[in-house]
Amino acid sequence: MDKIDNQSSPADAARFDVRPMTLAVDRWMGRLIRFGGIGVVLAVFGMLAFLIFQIFPLFAGAKVQSVEPLLFPAGAVAFGEDEYGEVPFVCLADGTLHFQDSRTGAKVLQWSPNVAPRRVTAVRSYPRDGLVLLGLSDGAVQEVRVSYRLAYDASGTRRSEPVVNAAEPLTVGDGGAPCRDVWAAKNSGGRLFVVRQSLAGREHLTGLLLAERKGLGGKVRVTPGQPFPIAADTVDFEQVLVPTTADSLLLIRRDGEVRTYNEAGEGFAFLQSFRPFAGAADPRVTSAGLIFGNVSLVVTGAEGQQHVWSLYPQLQPDGMSLRRWGRIHEGSVLPGVGQGVYAAEGNKCYLALAGGKLRLHNMTTGSLRWEGEAGAQGFRQVAFGRNYDRLAALDDQGRLLRWKIEDHHPESSWATYFGKIWYEGASGPAYEWQSSAGSDEFEAKYSLVPLFYGTVKGTFYALLFALPIALTAAVYVSQFLRPQFRQVVKPGMEIMASLPSVVLGFLAGLWLAPLVDPCLISLLCALAALAPAAIFAGYAWSKLPQRVRRQVAPGMEFLWLVPFVAGCAWLAWQAGPFVEAACFTVKDVGTGLPIADFREWWRQTTGLSYDSRNSLVVGFVMGFAVIPIVFTIAEDALSNVPTSLVSGSLALGASRWQTVWSVVIPTAISGIVSAVMIGFGRAIGETMIVVMATGNTAVMEANPFSGMRTLSANIAVELPEAAIGHTHYRALFLGACCLFLLTFVINTLAEVLRQRLRERYKVV
Amino acid sequence: MITMNPPTPSRIQVRPGNPNEGRQDYISIRDFGFWYGDKKALDAISVAIPERQVVAFIGPSGCGKSTLLRNLNRMNDLIDGIRHEGEITINGRSIYDPGLEVISLRRRVGMVFQKSNPFPKSIFENVVYALRVVGVKDRALLEEACETSLRKAALWDEVKDRLEDSALGLSGGQMQRLCIARAIANRPEILLMDEPCSALDPIATGKIEELIHELKAQFTIVIVTHSMQQAARVSDRTAFFYLGKLIEYDKTEKVFMNPSQAQTEAYISGRFG
Repeated sequence: MDKIDNQSSPADAARFDVRPMTLAVDRWMGRLIRFGGIGVVLAVFGMLAFLIFQIFPLFAGAKVQSVEPLLFPAGAVAFGEDEYGEVPFVCLADGTLHFQDSRTGAKVLQWSPNVAPRRVTAVRSYPRDGLVLLGLSDGAVQEVRVSYRLAYDASGTRRSEPVVNAAEPLTVGDGGAPCRDVWAAKNSGGRLFVVRQSLAGREHLTGLLLAERKGLGGKVRVTPGQPFPIAADTVDFEQVLVPTTADSLLLIRRDGEVRTYNEAGEGFAFLQSFRPFAGAADPRVTSAGLIFGNVSLVVTGAEGQQHVWSLYPQLQPDGMSLRRWGRIHEGSVLPGVGQGVYAAEGNKCYLALAGGKLRLHNMTTGSLRWEGEAGAQGFRQVAFGRNYDRLAALDDQGRLLRWKIEDHHPESSWATYFGKIWYEGASGPAYEWQSSAGSDEFEAKYSLVPLFYGTVKGTFYALLFALPIALTAAVYVSQFLRPQFRQVVKPGMEIMASLPSVVLGFLAGLWLAPLVDPCLISLLCALAALAPAAIFAGYAWSKLPQRVRRQVAPGMEFLWLVPFVAGCAWLAWQAGPFVEAACFTVKDVGTGLPIADFREWWRQTTGLSYDSRNSLVVGFVMGFAVIPIVFTIAEDALSNVPTSLVSGSLALGASRWQTVWSVVIPTAISGIVSAVMIGFGRAIGETMIVVMATGNTAVMEANPFSGMRTLSANIAVELPEAAIGHTHYRALFLGACCLFLLTFVINTLAEVLRQRLRERYKVV
Repeated sequence: MITMNPPTPSRIQVRPGNPNEGRQDYISIRDFGFWYGDKKALDAISVAIPERQVVAFIGPSGCGKSTLLRNLNRMNDLIDGIRHEGEITINGRSIYDPGLEVISLRRRVGMVFQKSNPFPKSIFENVVYALRVVGVKDRALLEEACETSLRKAALWDEVKDRLEDSALGLSGGQMQRLCIARAIANRPEILLMDEPCSALDPIATGKIEELIHELKAQFTIVIVTHSMQQAARVSDRTAFFYLGKLIEYDKTEKVFMNPSQAQTEAYISGRFG
């Protein structure tokens, strides 16, 4: 001791000093670890924030801003505009067109029809088609085409120059009376003109079809048909709606009856009539408008009601299902008598005018997108911009009121994603996901409910298959199997966990599904035989005399069990065809002969579908992905139960099973719950297997022999084809967010449960 | 290495005045040898344990006393690569009899471990565990057995108001007494105690030793202990093991006051071990 004390030289005291490097490394590692920890938390919240950022616009309403109105000569009855709304024009009652530059207010062009000695008695403008239809005093119709030519002035600014072309007048109506109104419509077969005239105090509608046939050289050959009367049976109609598809016609009578007519040969035949507000005190239809797509009709009533009627298949008394008009929605009540319904272009929105207010609604979801002051008593014509970015309305004083619309997700609402929606053309409200189709008029359906359903269904079947196997295997391997085998089994299972799921999905979809298909009953028989066979094997074993059982060391019993169970499964497999023949014989639809085919039996007996890529196959293969994880974690938890507890239980005369059941499993329960939850998380988020092996049909059926589409698979399949910023794109992110929240909630609940169990079954 | 002849059972004398005396060779271990793999842990042990007496196994660590104890209820069966020779009989019947279920052997031979090992269950469930595994479902029976066992283990007064609480909330000494109560709940005939007091403080140890005195009236007790004083205090007979061999086995007073073997004397007087 003295020696050390005496030698307290500076050099020696340095022995106790900490090297600066050690301190620096300690400090920096501390920072690095803190950074990593905070980084993980931030990454998770950042992900959530990104998802919310992506889906937020879906639930923002429409922004509609009023723009300075343009002043045109008073008495304008219709208007039209170019694609960008740069050079709008109005039509006066005499057919004169006035063009005006919307930026400068300068007059650009004035065009007058040359129809003398006839007069223009009716005007209708179709802004989208650049068509102005003039009805003449002798019942003829003149088409005026308005197009725009792009030009650049000296300073290089772009100008649209209107070009007006008038066609030869076509005789449609009776020569003895002036046109009161004119309509035109076009479809692939030709064009339809309709004129309305008053003859002898009666309203008449006359139509003319121009058949158009494209020749080989691309030249269109036009064959005019004969004028024909429309709805000669109807008098007293107030409003006429001519769908742009030229295949039908709707009349609205003063008493509130709507009569519909369909194209039938050379003419139109009565189809159906209905009274939208039959029960109301004032049953009149005050205004009506066809929604984009021409399948739905919005009608408003005197009390501000607004109903949506649509063509959809309805079961007729004779058992046939025919497309007929029926009410699909009842919208919110308007602030006054409905004065006008104006449909948007390109989507299912419409503008309703009532009580001096303008309301922008979505027809499908019924949501109110925007409400504003009309700024005028009534409108002559209202038109949306082609891209649903502008709105223009011509009032009685020749003012063209204009609005800018910013509504990127008009079809979006909570109901769109989570509610039951009656889409037009469908025969009832449904949860439906269908994001794209071949037609422009198609309305995308973004219900996440079938995807939730598919996710839960896939997870259910996967866990149904995986959990019993994984958990019993974990118990067996940790508690019963000899340690030397355990050392082989456990790494084997862990290697199984590392199988890429795309490989499993590939095997499931392309190899297993076709393989399972013809011998499904054999497979089900074999699976059903496993558990009873194992139980019977155990029972038989316990009944063997001790002398025999002694021959097999503890933990080696599987040498007896495995061949027995495998043998039983084999026998059950062999019995499969007989079971199928005995229980599942049905008459073949084609030949009428009885056939033993479970698939056909299932289809005919339950009326449900049978897909080769069905939930069983997915459950089976996804189970393969889930088993190793659940097994590994559960096995660890069970193996970590202190041997002192096991010994304590055995020393009290408990059997091995009693020990496992009443001591080992309760003690390891928190770990087992973790294992199950991690397996659950894996199954719910699993993507590649379900993409490849489910058929990806977004159906909501509990049927185990049908496919499904999960949230994760939906994202994987559709995100590459979704346009960035589009509703579809954001709907996929909404699905991602739901998946995130689903797993977050379930994991949190599981963790709470686990902590409780751990508290309850903690070991000293 | 010194080789000794183990004492033969015929030389054993019963302590006079024990009202419970019974069969002299109630547990009979004859020429018992035991291997862990290639390692011989016990070599030709012969001990006869009389009924309703306390026998202490003493000896330095690794001498095989615990191994022998754990063979009496065949707890060693779970270990891989074990082998034995010789014979152990309880009340005349070999515990290795192929017709004897090891479970029924363990019901007959209870055991208390060195480290208390209550199950993560309530105090009540811990005590009645042995009855539950036999299939007793009658609540009244279970409650009665619970109270009896806890009273015998001198724990009743301390826990009677919190039988449904977790056993893990008890103190170390209480836990060990709970393990004793658990071991005697199904009324075994023999109680094996593997250093039951090694992790306890002196007060708890004292309570358990008192308990052993009381339990002797009903059970045959074999106790392994590292504490010579404890062996002297609680046991009627003492066996001294050294390196897998039985060096001396005799009445406790004899072993401690007047050992016949030099090694025994050296050990009990603290010169080695």
